[in-house]
Order: sequence, then C-alpha cells, then structure tokens
Amino acid sequence: MKHLLSAASALSILAAASLAHAEEKTAWRLFVSDQAASVVHAIDAQTGERLASFDTKAPASLYRSDSGRTVFAVQGKGDTVAVISSGIAFGDHGDHGDISVEAPRLLDVSFDGKKPSHVVDHGGDIALFFDGEGKVRIVDEANVLEGKPAIREVATAAPHHGVAIAMGDHVLATEPNFEKPDELPVGITVTDRSGAKVGDINTCPDLHGEASSGNLIAIACAKGLLIAREQAGKPAIDFLPYDATLPAGKSTTLVGGRGLQYFLGNYGPSAVVLIDPKAKEAFRLIDLPTRRVHFVVDPIRAKYAYVFTEDGNLQRIDVVAGKIDAALKLTEPYSMDGHWSEPRPRIAVAGDRIIVSDPLRSVLHTVDASTFERTADIAVEGKPFNLVAVGGSGETH
Amino acid sequence: MLRKIGFASAMSVITLSSIWSASASAEPMKVVASFSIIGDFAQNVGGDRIELTTLVGSDGDAHVYEPSPADAVSMSKANVVLVNGLNFEGFLKRLVEASATKASVVELTKGIEPLKMQEDEHGHGEASGHGHDHGEFDPHAFQSISNAKVYVKNIADAFCAADAAGCDTYKANAEAYTAKLDAEDAEVKAAVASIPEEKRTIITSHDAFGYFEHAYGLTFLAPEGISTEAEASAADVAALIKQVRDDKASAIFVENITNPRLVEQIAGETGIKVGGTLYSDALSKADGPASTYIDMMKNNISTIKAAISGS
Ligand SMILES: [Zn+2]
Repeated sequence: MKHLLSAASALSILAAASLAHAEEKTAWRLFVSDQAASVVHAIDAQTGERLASFDTKAPASLYRSDSGRTVFAVQGKGDTVAVISSGIAFGDHGDHGDISVEAPRLLDVSFDGKKPSHVVDHGGDIALFFDGEGKVRIVDEANVLEGKPAIREVATAAPHHGVAIAMGDHVLATEPNFEKPDELPVGITVTDRSGAKVGDINTCPDLHGEASSGNLIAIACAKGLLIAREQAGKPAIDFLPYDATLPAGKSTTLVGGRGLQYFLGNYGPSAVVLIDPKAKEAFRLIDLPTRRVHFVVDPIRAKYAYVFTEDGNLQRIDVVAGKIDAALKLTEPYSMDGHWSEPRPRIAVAGDRIIVSDPLRSVLHTVDASTFERTADIAVEGKPFNLVAVGGSGETH
Repeated sequence: MLRKIGFASAMSVITLSSIWSASASAEPMKVVASFSIIGDFAQNVGGDRIELTTLVGSDGDAHVYEPSPADAVSMSKANVVLVNGLNFEGFLKRLVEASATKASVVELTKGIEPLKMQEDEHGHGEASGHGHDHGEFDPHAFQSISNAKVYVKNIADAFCAADAAGCDTYKANAEAYTAKLDAEDAEVKAAVASIPEEKRTIITSHDAFGYFEHAYGLTFLAPEGISTEAEASAADVAALIKQVRDDKASAIFVENITNPRLVEQIAGETGIKVGGTLYSDALSKADGPASTYIDMMKNNISTIKAAISGS
C-alpha cells in the first residue's frame, strides 16, 4: 500500500524513534479559583505544591479546553475572560504521546465583553458566550496560545443567558426568548461561515445545559434534549424527548462521558439521569440520598461518574450498572439552600485522584480513585471553589 | 443454614453447567462481535447456537466508534467477544475495562501474516497535530479472503473452547462457509486477471485495501491514512491529485464509512468520475448491495471492474 510517502523514510523514522531514549513522565495540575477573591491558583496535583497564582479582575469560573493546554477563567462580574496556559501539552501519539511540561502562565490575551457565561470547546474551536451582549466570540486554541484575538463573532438577536457551540464551518447558538429576554432561550439557531442562518430554529424551550461526548452534543430543553452531530460537514440535530416513565423534571446541567458515550444530567434536586441517546431506553434515573451539589464524569475510568451530595458525601456512580456503588464522607454538610454561587464543593479528576474542594475549610480533599479512599488534603488559602484538572502521562525526549 | 445455602448454590452451578453442555435447548451462547464483518462471520459459524450482538453496525466506522454504556452491558454478559485486533477497534481497551467482562476476548487476526504499515505521513514531530499511534500493522486484514478464512477458523476454535457441546456444529458450519469463501476468492482473482495491468491503480478515501492489494494485485491510493481518524493534509491531497494527473489512476471510489467530500474534490479536479461506493470497514444495511461479507467482496470487485472498463 503506497500512501504517498516512501517506505524508506518511514523506516528511518521508526529507527530514529527506537534509538531515542524516552522517559515516561506523569504530570497533573489543578487550577483553583476562589469563591470570593479574584485569583486563580495553579497547584501540582501530586505534591500539593502551589506553582503560581494569577490575579483576575473578578472571581472566576474555570473551564479547561479538551486538550488541557488552556484554562479559561470566566469573570462574569469582570466582563472578561482570561486565559491561562496550563503548561502541560501532549504530542501527537494518542495514548502514548509525548508530554511537555512548562510553568503555567497567564496568556497575554483576554476576551472582553459584557457578562461572559458559558465556554464550549469543540475540536479546538472554543465558543465564548457573552450574556450581556447576546454575542459569541469563537477562538482557536492554537491562536490563543500565541496571543491572537477571536477568529469570528456571531451575534444573536438580543442579550440573554445563552450558549454556543462551534461545529466545523457552522455555529450553533441559542435563540433568545423575544418576549421575555430574562427567561431562558427557546431554541438553537445554526449559522454558516457567512453568518447566514441554516434551516429553521431547532425548538428547545427553557434551554440550559450543554455537553459533548465523542461525536455527539446534547443540549437540555424543557421536554427533552437536542442531540447534535456533524454529518457530511453539516450539523444534524434531532430531538430526544424525556421518557414518559420519568417523573416530572428536566436537566439543566449536563456532562458528557469520556471513553463511553453517554450524558449525565441533573434531574430534580435529588437525582441524576444517565442518558444514552443510542439505546432503546435512553434514560436511567438514579436517585441520590440527599440533594445534589456537583457532578462530573471520570475521564479516565470510563465506568465511573461522581456526585457530591449536601450530606458531605462523594457518591460514586457505576454508569454501566446505572447505580451508586460507593459513597465516601469528605466534608461537613453543605446545604443547597441559598444562592447558587454560595461556596460549596466542586469535583475534578486528576489522574489517579479525585479532588473535591471544601471552601469553608480552605482545603482540597483528595481521594484515591482506584481504592475510593481518602488520601492527603491540600491546603489552599481563601475559599477554594471552582476547580479543573489537566495532565496525563507521556514520554519526554 | 449457611452451609446449606452454600451447598444449594454449588448444586445450582453444577446443574446449570450440565444443562449447558448436555442439552440442545440450552440458552444460546452470548457472542459480541466488534463490527459488522466479524458479526457476519460469527453468525455463519455459530448459526442458531449463538445470540449475536454486533457493536459497530452496518455502515459504521469502527476506527472512531464511541461505545455506549449499553455496549458495556452486552460485553459484560458475553461468553465470547470477537474482535479484529491490530488496533482496528480504538475503543476496545476502554470498553473491556468499563465492562469488566470475564469473557475471552479473541483477536481474529491471530495467525494471519500482518502487513506492516509502510508509511506514516502524520509521523513523529509533525506539526499537524492530527497524527495518532495506530500501531505497527495495517489492521484491515479481512480485505483478503484467505485471511477471512483464518478469522473463521479462529471463531470456530473460540466457540469450541466456550461451548464444547456445539463444537462439531461450529466446525461443520465453518467448513461449509470456508468453501463459499474459496469460491469467492477464485471469482475475485478471475475478475482482477481480466483487468489490463496498466489500469490496476485506483483511488479510495482511506487506506483500507492494503490486504486486497497484496492478495489480488491491484494498487490503491488514498488521501486519508489507515485510520479514518487522521485527516488528510492539503499536501497529501495535492500530491495525490498530481499522481492522478500523471495518469496513474484509472478509477476513483467513495467508501461507505467515510465522508465522500475529499474523494469528490479529487474527482472534480482531475476529471475522473466517481466509480461508485466500495465497502471497506463495514457491511451495508440489509437491503444494500453488501449486507454480507461475500456480497461485499462481490460488490467491490464488480464495482471496480465496471468503473475501470468504463474509463
Ligand atoms: Zn479502516
């Protein structure tokens, strides 16, 4: 099979690779924002050592890119999005990639606009939504790392609490509720490169919550989910209604499975729902012992997801069996009464450890992901709140 | 009391296993096949003694398939899991882990002579960022019928190991099916022999026909690599267009599993008409022209022959 390059040069590449002395290295970093102070800390997840602290304009919500090379610090009250280079990058060898590790740094680029809210990465095209303007700014991760500005903007009809997803040549963006712009969006509109609308609005009243898993994107609506995928270069969007057997309720936050294709959503205050859009029975409801505080999927052990509940327990969900299979007490109770932005725990997975922030005690709890037992705490000044983890293993040359 | 429960459950295990091995009305053996071509082989060998679940169905792309929790459940209940191996199923490792399956996971390329990947244009240190490690070998071994016969033998062996009582049936089924494969092999060889030698270079979307080329003597060029996951670079496409213009290729085809855009672009720029659809890594739906492996081979060679003789 002649695939354009000569066999001889492929052989020389193989020979060179086997001669090089490669060393396996693992690095994981935590980026932690404070609930009240305008700062983001970068912490070595293995040693607990603080690597750097970055001042922001306002308290930040953190989003990591899919590649883990950048962390977006969204400052809703500061009308800006700052970007941190995580310092960890992988070469292009899949599972056994090369890893390069540098100091984390605040990039010399920020994206200003009124009330930034959601950040969505789709294949390195990252869509930042600014509620106060109803505008999307789409940035390319590789460009951002070089300090370059947004590559394009898409305006929606009015300011609203929305979200957008870049999908190849197209952008999916929320359609505001015209009569009541303070309420949630009513659907998704697709635009092409020229800014022209493609097709009709995809109706989705009370839209809030979006996630991707593999080649699928799910968007939560009042009565079900929009499931979007790229098909022959264009977005194809289907509606998946909630199963009639589910109790009354809906998802407003979704996370997407890694390794297995599924979505996990909230559903009422004390349950989560596993969503497998390809299955005949697409929805499996899992009741929780108390109200839910935060939930994530395990990006490494595809079988597991975690939910923190207000009784201070980390619940482990077996997504294949569709049930809670372990619980671990980590904190004092954190009531869900009060405002959504009250200091409450958040979860992130860093390699072999699950990290849970405990803002009122100024620590990050760490849990061994294989034994599901507590390991050492990491002390962080202030109220450690939002957190993301980036890292992995690779070879260094 | 405890002892009695223990005894009872031990008894039930014995009872179950004796039903399993002695009775023809036993539960069918649960078999999971990773993709449609292996599923077809498994059904031919297993007949009605097996209950088959195929993960990546017709027209599906195993290279980029995303397994679901339901797939993990199928896997966890399986007696035998049949896979291609050679890194064809990128999803396999995580699915085996997530399912915690106790079934034997049988790589059907065991015993074939694997072709080395000759080339890796998205190789080490490339700036494109699209390269992936697909291992050392081309995994599309099923594109040669003599390899398909090895797959079938491996399946019969795996079924015999898991269900000794059905072994004679599996062996007889495998033998009958192998005879059909031999007939198809002769048919493909005759068809290729009828194509003039200077016309035996053709273009497909991704590099799936290395074993076909090796076994039957056609030359395939492809803008995409061994896996559909790695996108073709502009330079690859330009080089391919140049090669076509130098009059080295006599036909161009789309594949059922890949986006036809790139092939259509090359066709448009070179003036060669797209000669139809080749089935590379997946069978067609039941009402399509390639719903079984043998029909796939028939369809591919007749499509190729028709396009070349029309060019
Ligand atoms: Zn392939």
